[in-house]
Amino acid sequence: MKDWLTRIAAWSAIAISAGSALHAEPLKVVATFSILGDFAAEVGGERIALRTLVGPDSDAHVYEPRPSDAIALARADVILTNGLEFEGFMSRLIAASGTEAPITVLTEGVESMEEPGGGHYHYVDGRAIFHAGAHDPHAWQSATNAKVYVGNIAAAFCAADASGCQSYEANAAAYLADLDALDGEIRSAIAALPGDRRTVVVAHNAFRYFETAYGVTFLSPQGVSTESEAAAADVAGLIRQIRETGAGAIFAENISDTRLLEQIGREAGMALAGTLYSDALSGPEGPASTYLAMMRHNTAALATALAIQ
Amino acid sequence: MFRYLASASAMALMTNGPVFAQEHDHDHEDVTLYRVFVGDHADAKVTAFDLTEPDRRWTFDTTGQSKLYAVDNGSAVVAVQSNDDAVHFFTSGISLHAHGDHADIEVTEPAAIDQSLTGPRPFHVIDHDGKVVINFDRGGYAEIIDGHELSHGELESTQLKQARAHHGYAAPIGDLWVTSVASDAPVEGDAAPSRVGLQAINADGAPAGDVATCTGIHGEAFSGAFLATGCDEGVLTVSDGSDGPIMKMLEYPDDLPTGESTGTLLGSKSMQVFLGNYGAKGLVVIDPVDEPHFRYVELPFRRVDFVLDAANARFGYVLTEDGSLHQLDLLNAEVTKSAKITEPYSMDGDWNDPRPRLAMAGDEIVMSDPNAGLVRRISSESLEEVGTVEVEGQPYNIAVAGGSGVDHGAEADEHEHEAHDHAHSHDHDSKIYQGYFDDAQIAERQLSDWAGDWQSVYPLLQDGVLDPVMEHKAENGDQSAEEYRAYYEIGYKTDIDRITIEGDAVTFYQAGKPLAAQYASDGFEVLTYAKGNRGVRFIFEKTGGDEAAPRFIQFSDHAIAPQDAGHYHLYWGDDRAALLEEVTNWPTYYPSSLDGAQIVKEMIAH
Repeated sequence: MKDWLTRIAAWSAIAISAGSALHAEPLKVVATFSILGDFAAEVGGERIALRTLVGPDSDAHVYEPRPSDAIALARADVILTNGLEFEGFMSRLIAASGTEAPITVLTEGVESMEEPGGGHYHYVDGRAIFHAGAHDPHAWQSATNAKVYVGNIAAAFCAADASGCQSYEANAAAYLADLDALDGEIRSAIAALPGDRRTVVVAHNAFRYFETAYGVTFLSPQGVSTESEAAAADVAGLIRQIRETGAGAIFAENISDTRLLEQIGREAGMALAGTLYSDALSGPEGPASTYLAMMRHNTAALATALAIQ
Repeated sequence: MFRYLASASAMALMTNGPVFAQEHDHDHEDVTLYRVFVGDHADAKVTAFDLTEPDRRWTFDTTGQSKLYAVDNGSAVVAVQSNDDAVHFFTSGISLHAHGDHADIEVTEPAAIDQSLTGPRPFHVIDHDGKVVINFDRGGYAEIIDGHELSHGELESTQLKQARAHHGYAAPIGDLWVTSVASDAPVEGDAAPSRVGLQAINADGAPAGDVATCTGIHGEAFSGAFLATGCDEGVLTVSDGSDGPIMKMLEYPDDLPTGESTGTLLGSKSMQVFLGNYGAKGLVVIDPVDEPHFRYVELPFRRVDFVLDAANARFGYVLTEDGSLHQLDLLNAEVTKSAKITEPYSMDGDWNDPRPRLAMAGDEIVMSDPNAGLVRRISSESLEEVGTVEVEGQPYNIAVAGGSGVDHGAEADEHEHEAHDHAHSHDHDSKIYQGYFDDAQIAERQLSDWAGDWQSVYPLLQDGVLDPVMEHKAENGDQSAEEYRAYYEIGYKTDIDRITIEGDAVTFYQAGKPLAAQYASDGFEVLTYAKGNRGVRFIFEKTGGDEAAPRFIQFSDHAIAPQDAGHYHLYWGDDRAALLEEVTNWPTYYPSSLDGAQIVKEMIAH
């Protein structure tokens, strides 16, 4: 993991060993974070050499870009980003890299949701950090939106590597069918829950697309007060809301520490019901090492917690 | 306070998909301003001037020769006078605040802060995490100054004690501090003790960990998640961990020339990377995470000064004693361009002899040239001189404050006001109006501020009466008139077309049918919007009257303290908290006495 010069050199090595005999050079793809990386791997298959900047269980909001990231961008053929101001580090990194590769914004074509408070909170080392943005960037939390991402990736790959287009489109078609199946699974899992058991609590409001698509309500501390007072002021409001709505469960998130949630849980008399994966996949050994696994894990965790009366 | 009206370009407040209920699109200025502070080598003075308008110039007296640091994002400048046991402070007059997709800039004159610090040999300055930390090398302590207060011209400081006085530094890491540590071996006379390492300490100076070896510790910088510091054996990195600072020694690899070390470090603000010296003729690009940690660049001559490019993290610039400036590519660790820009300045002699110093100002390098009595402006792209500024005496140490941003405080173009024969119906401070204010400025308001007979502007929007307003916004904004109309369609939408307010009685007219109730003040709430600006909702709760009347009404009119409203946005409903989250629909009311044309004029003038 350490030697980035070797790792970059390995791009071409992977190409030769894993790429088809027809293509000496794989398409060099950079994806900004793990979920996009998984989509890219599904569509690109063996024809691409993929580098993911923000790795498993990591929060893109606090990512510190490295020189090797800039070098990867400089050498990339295709750069995949989420957009909607999700990757705050990207514009300066792109500037430093001097890359000429097209930047593909995967939320292009997604019907984006506005952020009610003009942004949302991240919780890092017990501190609330406000992520300002007009639009909610977590669009991948609905499988329907994921299909838009995948379509955009296939189009970007085809534009950069016309000879592989058939392969990308075939891969994308197969994966879109998986996403349709996933969408159906989530819907039936939620539909099986009692009608009054559809509300849970999270710290970081990353599940609004899931909420809109599948009908589970996510409560979280809302960002309307000043930064320094946010955590305290909003928690009180959230506790009231939890009591009023009879929220069924409280969840930790893989990218955040649990300090704030434990506090909320204590005050609301609820124990943590598990971990949801929001902005990053788990490592390969974890329960959410791919997008499909992540969405299934989250759905199962919600369904299990909400099924208990 | 004066403003810079050059380079004014109208920019609409709203971008695509606005969520903020700000009703007016004030014209804003995009402003780029760099202000250069130069300390004289011989005389006890600091000169400040605006880079592109150097006749705007100020001179400040100090106690002695100053080394200058722009701190708190350039809002303040610290003048450290090591040989005279004094530190003076200036507000730069430029403050920049990042708000996601843009920065706001505020420009006033620079000023000397009345309070100063005195103490035995102040030296290294660290600006990190809102704190400005100045080490007093012969005092055995560091002064910790609140950066935000400093930006407001207030000096608030506390002392952090060190075990033994030495030429070193202290820096905040998470909730703790790290400090360089001196050997406890006795010294002759007033000789400085040798330095042995770095240690985590609590705010009261009590050790919070063991001393990590870092022989001869000197030079430090922050980048990304790391602090890096130079040692005889390598570069020690420090990052915050759940159990306190994590220290890791990156030893100099064998392929670096032997017998040299790093003693000066710079940290990039936009990429996790450091640039350090390695001896007198070498530089090292230091990556604290990925290997190789060190990449060496040999210079043709000894280094005079070096700087990192804040605008493009790929590059650094170094001046060598032959008078050449070199552009250094940090990604490839190589010199990519060189140009002769001044007479030679030999590195023989004392380190503090008058020699050029470098600083960045956007896409320019500014360089003091003490023998020429100049500050030179050099394009960072071409390394060609783009201008010179004469500075009396021997311009030496240099710091730059400034950047680019949107000046929200700027008034709309004067001619526009005149053209529309505009008169403000209410007297407002435009900064507050834009949503930038301190909590202390907010004061409770009474319902009488909104007393009167009011009409909804929604019917005017529907009838096309407001079309000229939308056209005007489109001309000055980034959306079409149609898009603005759609936005306001959602914003203004309401079926309450008239409201009267008299005493504590509020009457809502829905299709001519009145609904009346009494209301009493229920305080106010401060909201932070997407753009980072804020608004205050003044809230009133129903005390009696029609059952169907809303339990809460919330006024928003861009004012934050008592004054009569010229127009307002009103939110109403029975759930106080839910109303606070409503930011897309903001029924808007103007005096019923105004006709459509007058309202159009009012709206355009804002």
